Amino acid sequence: IMVQLVGPLRKELADSLSSCRVLVVGAGGIGCELLKNLVLTGFKNIEVIDLDTIDVSNLNRQFLFQKNHVGKSKAQVAKESVLRFCPSANITAYHDSVMNPDYNVEFFRNFQLVMNALDNRAARNHVNRMCLAADIPLIESGTAGYLGQVTVIKKGMTECYECQPKPTQKTFPGCTIRNTPSEPIHCIVWAKYLFNQLFGEEDADQEVSPDTADPEAAWNPEETAARASASDQDGDIKRVSTKDWARSTGYDPVKLFNKLFKDDIMYLLTMDKLWKKRKAPVPLDWAEVHQLGRSQDDMCGAGLKDQQVLSVGGYSQLFQRSVETLRAQLKEKGDSAELVWDKDDPPAMDFVTAAANLRMHIFSMNMKSRFDVKSMAGNIIPAIATTNAVIAGLIVLEALKILNSDFQQCRTIFLNKQPNPRKKLLVPCALDRPNPNCYVCASKPEVTVKLCVHKTIVQTLQDKILKEKFGMVAPDVQIEDGKGTILISSEEGETEANNGKFLSDFGIRNGSRLQVCVCLEELPRDVEFEVVGDAPEKAPPPSVPEEEKSITNGNKDSAQPSTSTKAEAEDDDILIVDSDEEPSSSTTDVSMETGSLKRKLQDAETGETASKRKRLDQQPAAEDDDDDDDIIALD
Amino acid sequence: MIDMIEKEDNVITEEEAAQYDRQIRLWGLEAQKRLRGSRVLLVGLRGLGAEVAKNLILAGVKGLTLLDHEQVTEESRRAQFLIPVDADGQNQAQASLERAQFLNPMVDVKADTDQVENKSDSFFLQFDAVCLTGCSRDVMVRVDQLCSSRNIKVFCGDIFGYHGYMFSDLGPEHHFVEEKVKIVKSSDETNDGPKVKKPKVDPNETTMVKKMASFCSLKEALEVDWTSEEAKASLKRTPPGYFLLHVLLKFRTDKGRDPHPGSYAEDSCLLLQIRDDLLEAVDVNPELLPDSFVSTCFSEMAPVCAVVGGVLGQEIVKALSQRDAPHRNFFFFDGLKGSGVVDYFGNK
Repeated sequence: IMVQLVGPLRKELADSLSSCRVLVVGAGGIGCELLKNLVLTGFKNIEVIDLDTIDVSNLNRQFLFQKNHVGKSKAQVAKESVLRFCPSANITAYHDSVMNPDYNVEFFRNFQLVMNALDNRAARNHVNRMCLAADIPLIESGTAGYLGQVTVIKKGMTECYECQPKPTQKTFPGCTIRNTPSEPIHCIVWAKYLFNQLFGEEDADQEVSPDTADPEAAWNPEETAARASASDQDGDIKRVSTKDWARSTGYDPVKLFNKLFKDDIMYLLTMDKLWKKRKAPVPLDWAEVHQLGRSQDDMCGAGLKDQQVLSVGGYSQLFQRSVETLRAQLKEKGDSAELVWDKDDPPAMDFVTAAANLRMHIFSMNMKSRFDVKSMAGNIIPAIATTNAVIAGLIVLEALKILNSDFQQCRTIFLNKQPNPRKKLLVPCALDRPNPNCYVCASKPEVTVKLCVHKTIVQTLQDKILKEKFGMVAPDVQIEDGKGTILISSEEGETEANNGKFLSDFGIRNGSRLQVCVCLEELPRDVEFEVVGDAPEKAPPPSVPEEEKSITNGNKDSAQPSTSTKAEAEDDDILIVDSDEEPSSSTTDVSMETGSLKRKLQDAETGETASKRKRLDQQPAAEDDDDDDDIIALD
Repeated sequence: MIDMIEKEDNVITEEEAAQYDRQIRLWGLEAQKRLRGSRVLLVGLRGLGAEVAKNLILAGVKGLTLLDHEQVTEESRRAQFLIPVDADGQNQAQASLERAQFLNPMVDVKADTDQVENKSDSFFLQFDAVCLTGCSRDVMVRVDQLCSSRNIKVFCGDIFGYHGYMFSDLGPEHHFVEEKVKIVKSSDETNDGPKVKKPKVDPNETTMVKKMASFCSLKEALEVDWTSEEAKASLKRTPPGYFLLHVLLKFRTDKGRDPHPGSYAEDSCLLLQIRDDLLEAVDVNPELLPDSFVSTCFSEMAPVCAVVGGVLGQEIVKALSQRDAPHRNFFFFDGLKGSGVVDYFGNK
C-alpha cells in the first residue's frame, strides 16, 4: 500500500490540520496540555479563551505557567509559552469569559472544531448551545483526581451536553443546617452562611439562627404554626438581622461567640423533641473555654501546618482573631460594605474554619483541620498533571477523527483509576443518539411538566420553571386552547395581570399543552410543554422537573424560605460510569444506532467520587468554584 | 540559577505546600514526601521522554537525570516541547534541560549525554527508579535485570505512531498502601425524618490497607511460551499491542533505528516480514496483527505520547510513593480505537 506520511500522519490529514481553525475554551489543567498536543500534532490556527488568572496552586499541572506568571492571564501566558516551542503556530488568546455576548454564533462559525477545557457547568451549557446553533462539532471533557472523560457532541448525530439531566448541586435542608447538623459539611455550610450574615451579603436563604418552625421540633402540627407566628411577632429573634445585631455589639467576638455557641444552642435544647433520638448539642461558654487555653496544640511537627487539628480553645482564639480582622476589613471599606467569601483570603478561611469547628464540637463531631475544611468549603477538586495529560491526548485523537469526517469512529472514552474486569483502563463507548425530547437540541422538543394546576400560579410557572429550571430568559407562553390565549408575554407589563392567577383559572388541566417561545439566539425554536396535572398514574419522564416533590423536609409552609429545593436528586447522582463497550475486535463496525448504555454507579472507593457529595448549595458564584477541571458528569 | 533548597526530608516548606496543594489533597502528604526523596533516571528525550519528564518534574521528585546521546534534528525538535527552536545539532538531553528545569525549580534536573549502552552497572544504582524509552530490547533486559533485584523500580515505554506501550517491573515484592473509605453505620442520628438514611460515608474517615504485588522480569515477560495449550487459548484476549511490540523491538534491533517515514516503502516491507517470521516462529496466526498496522506505526504521535506518558508518569509516581495498586505489568494503548488495556505477561 503506497501511503504518503508526514511524520506519523497521512498527508491528507496533515494538510487539513494546518489549514483548519480550532477554538479551545479554557487554558487551565486540560487547556495547557491540549494546546501543547494540538501544536505538536500540527494544528496551526488555534484560538484560546480563559477568563482566569494564574494562581500558585495551578503550577503542579498547568505546565505552561511558572511562578513569575502568577496573577497574569492564563490565555495570554499559555499562548506565549506555546509560541516558544512552536513559533510558527498562529494563536489568538482572549482573556475573557466565553459567555460574553461578543462570542456569538457568528464567532463560533469561524471554527471547524471547538474543544472545551472547562470546569463549570454554566459555561459548558453555554458552549454546548452555541455549537449546536452554529452546527460545529464540540469535544467535551473533564477530569477530577485520577478520573477523566472525553466525548464528542455533534448536532443531529450525538447527544448534546444537556440531553441527559445532570445531577444538580447538593443542597441541605434549612433545619439541618440551623438545628440538627450531623456531618461536618453541615457545620461548614452554616459557617459560610454565618460569614455572609455577618460580613457579606445577607441572604434570606442563608439563615443561621435556630429554626423555630422546624416541624421535627413540634409534638403536633398546631405547635409548628404557633412557633412560626410566635417567631414573627417576637422581634428579638426575627426582626433584628444577624448583621444588625452584630453591629450593635461592635462585632464583639466574645458576645458573638456566646450568642452563637451558647445562647442559640441553649435555645435549641428547649426544642426537646429534636433530641429524643439524637445526641443533644453541648453549649460552649467563652469564659470556660478560655481557661482551657490552647495547651494541646502543637505548633511544630512534620505535617503541614494547615493539617493540624486544634483544640476548642485554639479554634475559639482563631474565631476571635478572625472576627477582629474581618471587622477591620469591613470598617476600611466603609459604611455599607460587604465582604465576599474567598477560600484564598486567610481571615475569611480562618473564620469559617473556626466557626465550623466550634459547631462540630458542640454537636459531638470530630473537628477538622483547616486543610480539610478548605477542601469542603472551597469545593476544591484535587488535580494532577497526568490525568489531564491523558485526557488532552484523547481529545486530540478524537479531533483527528472529526477532521477526517470519521464520525463513526468517535467515542466517549472514560479514564478509570484501575482497569475494569475486562482489563480496560481506558474505556471507549459508542456515542449516544440525541435525546428526541431534549429541549436544547431536539428539533421539536417537548417537555412534560407535572404540577398542581390548582395551586400553581402563572408567576411560579414563569419564574421557577421556565426561568430557573430551564434557564430561559424571556419566555413567551401560549396555551394551545384553540384560541391561542397568551399566558405569559416577554413584553414587560403585558401579562402582569395573569401572574397571580392559578393555571386552572385559564382552563389548563391534565393534558393541556403550552407552547413556549424563547427568542434567544441559543434556543431558536419553540418548546412544547405538556401539562400533567392531577393524574398521578401519568408519570413524567425523568428529565422533568417535579415541583411537587422538590421540598423534602416539610418547610414548604413555614415562614422561613427553605434552602432545599432539589434535595431528592442527590440520591440519584449519576457519577462516572464504567460502561460496557463494544467488542474489541477491530472488524466490528459500531454504528451510532447502539442504544443507551447501561449505566451503573461507580464504586465510591475513591475519595474523588465521594467528594462530590460535599458540594455546597451556592449560586454559581465563581469564587466557590475552584479553578480545577471537572469531570463532565459532575459539577 | 537553580535554587537548591537544602532541607530536612521530613519538613515540607510553605512553598511546596502551596504549589503541591492540589496533589497533596489527592495522594496525601506521605506520598508527596516520598516523591520528594526519590531520584529518577529517564533515558530518551523524544516525544514520550519529554512527557514523562514533565510529569515527574511537576510531581516533585527530588532529582531527574535526562540521559540521551542523540543530537537534536528538526524532526526530533518538532516532536517535543522542551527543546528550543535554535537547538539543532545540540545534544537532545542537554537541549531539553533548561525548559525542563523551568517546569519546577524545586527538582534537581540534570542532563547526561552518554549512550545508555556505555553506562556501568553502578551508574544505575544511584536511582530509585529508571525509565527507559527508545532503548533496544537488549539494553532494556540488561538494565531491568540489574535494577529490579536491588529494589530499583524499572519502567519501559515506547511510541510507534498511533500505538504505545509501557512496562513495569517493581520487583518480586512491591509493598504499597491503598486508601479505603470507612463505612460508618448511622448511630443515633436520624435526620430528615421519614427517609431511611444509607450508612454514612464520611470521606475523610479512611483507612490505609497494606498490600503487596510481585512482578516478573522483562525477559520473562517478553519470552512467553505460546506453544502451550493455555497460551493458545488466551490468544484471543491478548492485546495485539503485545505482538506489535515484539515486531518493533526486532526492527529496532536489526536496523538500529525505528521505522522512518522517509523510508516508508522499504521499512513497511521489513515490518511485514518481521511480523510473519516472528508470529510463525511462535506458531501464532499472523492475522492477529493485521497488515494495516504498518501505516500507523511510524514516528511518534504527540497525543499518543501524552496518553502513554501520562499513564507511565503516574505509574512511576505510584511506585515511588508506594501508594495505590500498580498496573501489572503492561499497558497497551491503541490511538485509533482509544483503547487502553492493562495485561500481565510472564509467570504470575
